[in-house]
Amino acid sequence: METLSLLFDGFTVALAPESLMFAMIGAILGTLIGALPGLGPANGVAILIPLAFSLGLSATSSLILLTSVYAGAMYGGRISSILLNIPGDEPAMMTCLDGYPMALKGKAAEALATSAIASFIGSFIATIGLVILAPILAKFALKFGPAEYFALFALAFATLGGITGKNQFKTLIAAALGLMIATVGIDISTGVQRFTYNSLHLFEGIDFLIAIVGLFAISELFFFLEAHAGDGLKQVALNKLKLTAKDILFVLPASIRGALLGFVSGVLPGAGASLGSFISYTMEKKASDKDGTFGKGDPRGVAAPEAGNNGAASGALVPMLTLGVPGSGTTAVLLAMLISLNVNPGPMLFQQNPELVWSVIAALFVGNLVLLLLNIPMVGIFVKLLSIPPKYLMPIVTMVAAVGIYSITSSAVDLYFMVGFGVMGYVLRKIDIPLVPVILGMLLGPEMEKNLRHALVLSDGDWTTLLSSGLSIGLWSVALAGLLLPILVGPILRAKMKRSKAATEEA
Amino acid sequence: MRINDRVFGMLMLILAVTYGYQATLFPVPFGGQESVGPETFPIMLSVLLGIGSLYMMIKPDEDTKWPPLTMLLELVLVCGVLVAFAWSIEYVGFIISAAFTVAFLSWRMGATIAKSSITGAVTSLVIFVLFNKVLELALPSGILGF
Repeated sequence: METLSLLFDGFTVALAPESLMFAMIGAILGTLIGALPGLGPANGVAILIPLAFSLGLSATSSLILLTSVYAGAMYGGRISSILLNIPGDEPAMMTCLDGYPMALKGKAAEALATSAIASFIGSFIATIGLVILAPILAKFALKFGPAEYFALFALAFATLGGITGKNQFKTLIAAALGLMIATVGIDISTGVQRFTYNSLHLFEGIDFLIAIVGLFAISELFFFLEAHAGDGLKQVALNKLKLTAKDILFVLPASIRGALLGFVSGVLPGAGASLGSFISYTMEKKASDKDGTFGKGDPRGVAAPEAGNNGAASGALVPMLTLGVPGSGTTAVLLAMLISLNVNPGPMLFQQNPELVWSVIAALFVGNLVLLLLNIPMVGIFVKLLSIPPKYLMPIVTMVAAVGIYSITSSAVDLYFMVGFGVMGYVLRKIDIPLVPVILGMLLGPEMEKNLRHALVLSDGDWTTLLSSGLSIGLWSVALAGLLLPILVGPILRAKMKRSKAATEEA
Repeated sequence: MRINDRVFGMLMLILAVTYGYQATLFPVPFGGQESVGPETFPIMLSVLLGIGSLYMMIKPDEDTKWPPLTMLLELVLVCGVLVAFAWSIEYVGFIISAAFTVAFLSWRMGATIAKSSITGAVTSLVIFVLFNKVLELALPSGILGF
């Protein structure tokens, strides 16, 4: 009951006219960002964080704005999957399988509408799950001491590559690089300068917003230049929408199943949205593909992965809000946003800042409804904007990102760093080293070191304290499993995902 | 070819060793040595990075292709323009440097010179007005000083 009344309070904040406006702006921006191939949700949110700062918004307003962007980006990803056969991000890959064939059959509008409804159902169910599960997990997490937290952070890194991760050692390198960047600056507990080389700019460390924008947005620019992708791709034309209640009822069970599966895989560490949409699609195919219509434009094949994808996106917020440990790239960026707003996620957040948490959760509900209402009638506008060729769009996006970075401290040095991180991102991507662990390392580094210190100070320097409680042993073993499982199961799963994609392309 | 991973692994190993070595040189903090000093965590990280880089050198993955030399030079040029933008924003002012940067980028991505100039000019003006007038966040006006 307590949860309900808190949620109700949250709704009074989220339904205030100002919040509604921010939710609306966020939803529109997010859909656009998600729809642009190559930009992706993590990128989009990263670019908008400094801008939300420079607007001088309150913590609640910026959170509402950016969570709507997050939700919107998940909706937007499907537009390019369906019309261009190019997923906006990895989880949207499964939507291509049936979405693009549907569009080719002249049912693009139906595919978009079906997926919008499925997205809504996915997010809605998963947000309910979040409301139920988050407070329980937060209470449980209060039992965590410094040693457990240290283990938890290790677990976050170990499982980040996900079960489909390719090379665990590359994830390790990426995480180590991120953590190393986080050690630059004045050490908080002793005041010793570390790796600053007496440069004043490095005393406060390197702002992770600069790293995020550089690694994601600037390196993306380089990739676009290299691929000569300035002209954009041919997209399938949009037809007039003919959707009846019967069509919606037809995809409803698929959406609900997808949403539940997606939520579970979003909450679990290391599974994430990609696995969520993959499992939803394959399970749905097993359950309802009686006539072999999947992969040839079956609306259920659009609904299931889309619901799974969005369900996982909301599910991923559970560990992020309650433990401060994000499970995916985009939630890592959301964590960056919370930290920069001086909100520290973790179990204490639910006790110290309940208004904020619950208004964000309420904003998720509201944002989703706004998105559904926006997406069905306005999809034509989004599609038009999508047809602006990247050769005009990417330079503009780059400039907006640069202005955002410049506005943090009004210093050109930050921009030099941004370009530097861009080059680093380009090289790392060429070597196949994932970028998300780098970001996560920068975000979690200070907390991880602090917890290690606390644990060892409490035990008087006895390192076995890290393994002293059952809980921490459990966390370490999950972390170990997270490292080893992908090596064993990963190749099989990846091959499966590839096969189902290849099979539909031939068909 | 599996040269990428070997070279990169080597570089990372050098980084790990230098980083770890530098960490051992940190001054003893005021108030005496504790069980976990400022150097403990960095040393752990350098060991982790070392393990990762050794693995990369021993079991390298298949190379992804690097672009041809002309494209690499072009990317270097783009970096140069971005750095020049960062430098010139305070001296020349936002409008001119941003207009030039956006125009250059969009030209390199395949737009015609005329169209990319228009994109550059419009983008920089809109951003400038939006930030200075609406959001009240001063971007330097530089030599256009008004």
